[in-house]
Amino acid sequence: MSAREPWYERDSRFIAAHQQPAGLLDLGLGRGIDSHRLLRGSGLFHEDILRGATLISPEQYLRLIDNAQRLLAADDTSFLFGQRLLPGHQGAASQALAQAGNLLEALRLLGELRALLCPLLSPRLVCDERYAYLYWLDSCGAGPSLRFLLEAHMAAATALGRRLSGERLPWRFHFRHAEPRCVEQYWVHLGEDLHFGSPCDLMRLPLDCLNRPLPQAAPTAGAVSRRQARAQLESAGPAASLLDRLYDWLLAHVREAPGLERAAEAFAMSPTTFKRKLRKHATSYQEQHDRARLHVALWLQQVKGYGNEAIASYLHFHDANNFRRSFKRWTGMPPSSLRQSLCG
Amino acid sequence: MPSLLRHHRLKLLAVVLAANFSLLLHLAAGDPIPVREWNPLDIFGEGGAALLALVWLGLMLSSRPAGRVTNLLALGLGCVFFSWWTDCLDEFVRLPESVHWDHWLESAPMPVGLLLLTYGLYHWHHEQLAISAQMEKRERLFREHLLFDKLTPLAGADYLRRQLQLSLEESRREGRPLSLVAVDLDHFDAINQRFGHAEGDAVLQAVTQLLLLNLRRQDLLCRLAGDRFVILLPHTGESQARQLAGEMALAVEHLAHKTRQHGERLQLGASVACAMALDEDAEQLLRRLNLALARAKQGLALSA
Repeated sequence: MSAREPWYERDSRFIAAHQQPAGLLDLGLGRGIDSHRLLRGSGLFHEDILRGATLISPEQYLRLIDNAQRLLAADDTSFLFGQRLLPGHQGAASQALAQAGNLLEALRLLGELRALLCPLLSPRLVCDERYAYLYWLDSCGAGPSLRFLLEAHMAAATALGRRLSGERLPWRFHFRHAEPRCVEQYWVHLGEDLHFGSPCDLMRLPLDCLNRPLPQAAPTAGAVSRRQARAQLESAGPAASLLDRLYDWLLAHVREAPGLERAAEAFAMSPTTFKRKLRKHATSYQEQHDRARLHVALWLQQVKGYGNEAIASYLHFHDANNFRRSFKRWTGMPPSSLRQSLCG
Repeated sequence: MPSLLRHHRLKLLAVVLAANFSLLLHLAAGDPIPVREWNPLDIFGEGGAALLALVWLGLMLSSRPAGRVTNLLALGLGCVFFSWWTDCLDEFVRLPESVHWDHWLESAPMPVGLLLLTYGLYHWHHEQLAISAQMEKRERLFREHLLFDKLTPLAGADYLRRQLQLSLEESRREGRPLSLVAVDLDHFDAINQRFGHAEGDAVLQAVTQLLLLNLRRQDLLCRLAGDRFVILLPHTGESQARQLAGEMALAVEHLAHKTRQHGERLQLGASVACAMALDEDAEQLLRRLNLALARAKQGLALSA
């Protein structure tokens, strides 16, 4: 792929191997696992990483994650890895995060710098009058490692909040997957307010926790770090993945229910190429489209309090029945059963 | 070469030499049997047995430090191997009728080996009892090494769940109470942040030893996850459990842990909670314990 495209893909090499991936490597080495076995199949050697100039692709990073998961064979690997992720050791980007004035600013920055701080999972922040909702989207087709990534990133965000504010914050967690066997890891590393089998992977925090000024805030130094971090982001390459950009585009056009051809045109490629690229990321246009519509429907239902009729007409469904059927197909449950679940 | 095998070089050398000696003796006295007259079934059976004896010897030596019991077991298994090996050799070498020592070479080491092995196993049994006594408070009722974590080393949540299930049944049968205590380190994340994750691991190991020292013989300590420990207290009511929980919190507070790098004193603290088993299953009890701990932690945030 060319460097001019405004997004990164599964095989774009832009992740500094000596930063986040090295954290996972250290975790494995610390548990007595051989570096060759950890890096097997990734096309990397420990010496390359030590040199500090190697860039790897999301695909290689995912391979390393898969190896670490298999070799460490412990339920807490993802959480321990997550706790080391943020603010991390990524120069100006990490510094800007650590010097943020309040948590809202920190989370917004995390979203803006996601290509540097969390290239595999995209954080999305939305707020209503009472709560901030941070939900996570798969950026590069994580496949079976998605649960690992979600655990790691939610643990990272929780630990970041705790470090910056100096106290345990009252997060609520929603996961799409069913309650796992090792739920005690979630209790210890995340918190007690856990909900499984939800329609999206989401964390929720009361808004006043986000607006509280942080003890370590450094407004002037923070502003400089932010500027440097943006320059760092600029030189690292595209700021978001293809799936991420597609999600934005789908949200912007959600009321028109656009087809694959229109989307391909917007991304300046033929429908065949577009389909192939999505397949490479282990997804399809239909899946991405459905997800964007589901998120809008959830927002309207949970936050705006819309009824099925109103949502159906907003999203240009034929009627409420049609919407109800689609909703059930997306989430496995009818909209009525969700009425209270996310905000209650 | 695994590190433990290094202590046993002499024994391995002796086995190789003995096998070689027997082979040379056969070749010197008899004639090789041509390949077309070999009996594959006999070769497979006798050779396979000899090979397995060698594998047992290897596994035993690579998993045990040197010592009396190890020597006995090695000698016994060595004799068994030698006997089967010699037995296998006459499939390849035909000895003249006049030679009789081959029967001795084949049959004499076997009973000697088995006797030595039996004697060794008897002592191993005593050794195992001594080691099990050291595992007290970390293991109850059944053993499963796969469920122990590599760090502390204590049993994890899966072992606790199975153990709790058994203990709940037992307590219901006998009509005696059963309680759980949770111990969670305060500000553990800050220790990891300030002193590094290796220091955090060292703290967990130190606290594990400390908690073990403060428990009664029948209690079981497990690491639930991260910095959270759960203690299973058989035959214990709620007030006694609460008292024990308080003792654990005090013990952690008074532990003067020093960092590995600079020997700096770390001020540790722990939140504790306890729950007595009511009419519920292991999962519900653990969940209730966890919520009680969350309430204890909330109080901490307010007072801090």
